[in-house]
Amino acid sequence: MNASSHPPRTIAEYLEQLRAALRAADPALIQDALYDAEEHLRAELYERPGRDEAAMLEHVVESYGAPDEVAEIYRDQEIKIQRAIRPPPAPKRRSAAGRFFGVIADPRAWGALFYLLFGLVTGIAYFTWVVAGLSMSAGFSVLIIGLPFIVLFFGSVRGLALLEGRLVETMLGVRMPRRPPYPQRHMSLFQRIGAMFTDPRSWSSMLYGLLQLPLGIFYFTLIVTWLAVSLSFIAAPIVKLVAMYEPVVGIRCDSGPDWLCDVLNWMGGWGGAAVLCVLGLLLFFTLLHVARGLGHLHGQLAKHLLVRRA
Amino acid sequence: MLHLKLSGSAGECVDDGASQLKKFQKELSAGTVSLVLLAVLGQSRQPLYGYQIAKRLEEAGEGVLAGKQSALYPVLRNLEGAGLLASEVEPSVSGPPRRYYRITKFGREVLREWTAAWNASRDSVDKVLQGEL
Repeated sequence: MNASSHPPRTIAEYLEQLRAALRAADPALIQDALYDAEEHLRAELYERPGRDEAAMLEHVVESYGAPDEVAEIYRDQEIKIQRAIRPPPAPKRRSAAGRFFGVIADPRAWGALFYLLFGLVTGIAYFTWVVAGLSMSAGFSVLIIGLPFIVLFFGSVRGLALLEGRLVETMLGVRMPRRPPYPQRHMSLFQRIGAMFTDPRSWSSMLYGLLQLPLGIFYFTLIVTWLAVSLSFIAAPIVKLVAMYEPVVGIRCDSGPDWLCDVLNWMGGWGGAAVLCVLGLLLFFTLLHVARGLGHLHGQLAKHLLVRRA
Repeated sequence: MLHLKLSGSAGECVDDGASQLKKFQKELSAGTVSLVLLAVLGQSRQPLYGYQIAKRLEEAGEGVLAGKQSALYPVLRNLEGAGLLASEVEPSVSGPPRRYYRITKFGREVLREWTAAWNASRDSVDKVLQGEL
């Protein structure tokens, strides 16, 4: 409300008021709303070359909406979209067992599991891109092609940030921008290059790209190990079934305490196989919980590093 | 209740009617805006960008889009997300960069079904309003 105390006179002022009106909303939503508004306003200004910016904005407030109204529309729409597009949240289960095992029906847990596995691949790609781009930018900077190369590289980082955001939103369910930040057209070339360097989002996106490699390695190792252990435990009865045909040789106790041999011999029997299978199932469900939690954390990291804070 | 109504000024009464109308218009346009956008892009020979679509709807009259034009953009994005529209950004030399939308094959199929559904519900609403039941 306080944002519209005076009508906006320039596009920048309009966008600033819109940003203020959306203050409490998700930063990804703000980025989308600002992109749409700027595209519309610049088109309006371009289509009617005769009019000045203030007169155009007066008209736009009537047709496109005042910043407050636009903010309201976007907040409304966001609620509807969340309901329509997102997978419905898994039904709330009361019992502890229901909560524990219900995770298998949660698409977000599976999405996170695959995202974390896949993170090694994207991590290698981003890391290589950022390191190669930065070092080549530094190397080329003494040459005439240095500046265009740096501009291209920074632009590509923005594109990658948007792409990674789409990936994060589909697989981890964290709201990310659907539109890039609006390109700065009204500034001179050198101002634009300056803005690229001073934009903290450029640097934080690169930091995200670099971080993705160690994180990807960590996620990948954790999940592959965990999956291997839990799946092999689950498969214990099958192994036992196959092994039945072989003469079962008990473990000989050369050294070490007798109870250890007893335990190992028992593990080789059906009872041991059943216990291992149950243990494997529990481990697998725990893995789904861990993946969902890690996915959520990673989504928050992506949002902080790839999207500008309001 | 009656007392309250009587004590309220006539102005408030009119205001109340106007706000009811506004609410109804908002609901109507919320239900039809996707169909209208899909139809505009279905009839267009070339891809259109948001501002062009807004201007076309402006020519069609107030009825189509009761609210503000800013409501178009999220809907366009949703339709794109659902695979009914496709879009690409075209940087223009002189003007600002624009995102052009065009209808997809799937979008055309959906538009045909939606049009049929719209015709059916419009006919039945008309029947009720004209008291032909």
